[in-house]
Amino acid sequence: MAADSRKGEEDDGGEFADFMADISQEIAQRVESLATAPKAPSEVSKGTPVPADGGLILEWENVADRMIEDMR
Amino acid sequence: MSVVNYGTREITCKIVYYGPGRSGKTTNLQHVYSQLPEDRKGKMVSLATETDRTLFFDFLPLDLGTISGFATRFQLYTVPGQVYYAATRKLVLQGVDGVVFVADSQSRQLAENIESLQDLHANLADEGFDPRTIPLVMQYNKRDLPAGEISPIEELDETLNFRGVPYFAASAINGAGVFETLRSIASMVLSRLSAPAVKES
Repeated sequence: MAADSRKGEEDDGGEFADFMADISQEIAQRVESLATAPKAPSEVSKGTPVPADGGLILEWENVADRMIEDMR
Repeated sequence: MSVVNYGTREITCKIVYYGPGRSGKTTNLQHVYSQLPEDRKGKMVSLATETDRTLFFDFLPLDLGTISGFATRFQLYTVPGQVYYAATRKLVLQGVDGVVFVADSQSRQLAENIESLQDLHANLADEGFDPRTIPLVMQYNKRDLPAGEISPIEELDETLNFRGVPYFAASAINGAGVFETLRSIASMVLSRLSAPAVKES
């Protein structure tokens, strides 16, 4: 994988422009791929999930009685 | 070193040019510096002795501007090649993202190349990096010297490049191969943006 050897003085500053063009393209691709990558588990929202079936407790006054009844 | 920082939207890469004394590490940086347009020319810091050999290190910040919304900077360092500056070499390797090993193609310098490569591996390991996986590019410099004085590329590669990483023939004093080498190591470092944890724990 040896590189071709160009003389630096021949292109008089164009080397940096070529380098910038290649690197810019590479960075753009990397940033884009990172932006679309799935989030790591630690980044996922950790809010309390709410059951879709309406598992909300609506009759609070009966809950304690039912728990005591279940424990008997 | 954190390569990409989404908080500050910065990408910073530290690339270290390693190799034996007088192999052409500083010359590589000087050529890169000479090619920078005026508006991007920062300050190249060189600490050299009276005989122009690198005393501490060279540092060339490359500010590439904003790319895809990220302020992008490459920091190019060299290490002093002389054997007795071992502590400095370890210091410069801290937080490195990629290494260019600049080998001297002169046949009589082969032992120095091997010694420096072994030194690199030992120092990388000491600093917590895995020498087998850290981005690395080989540069066989001084190809402009008479054929009778330099080893064939294949021979150098057989002896030094046991990882089989990309390698480049160069004549840094003329600029040949300098940007090809830089482009290659930059590409390798950038390909690891998603996996910045290069340090072994």
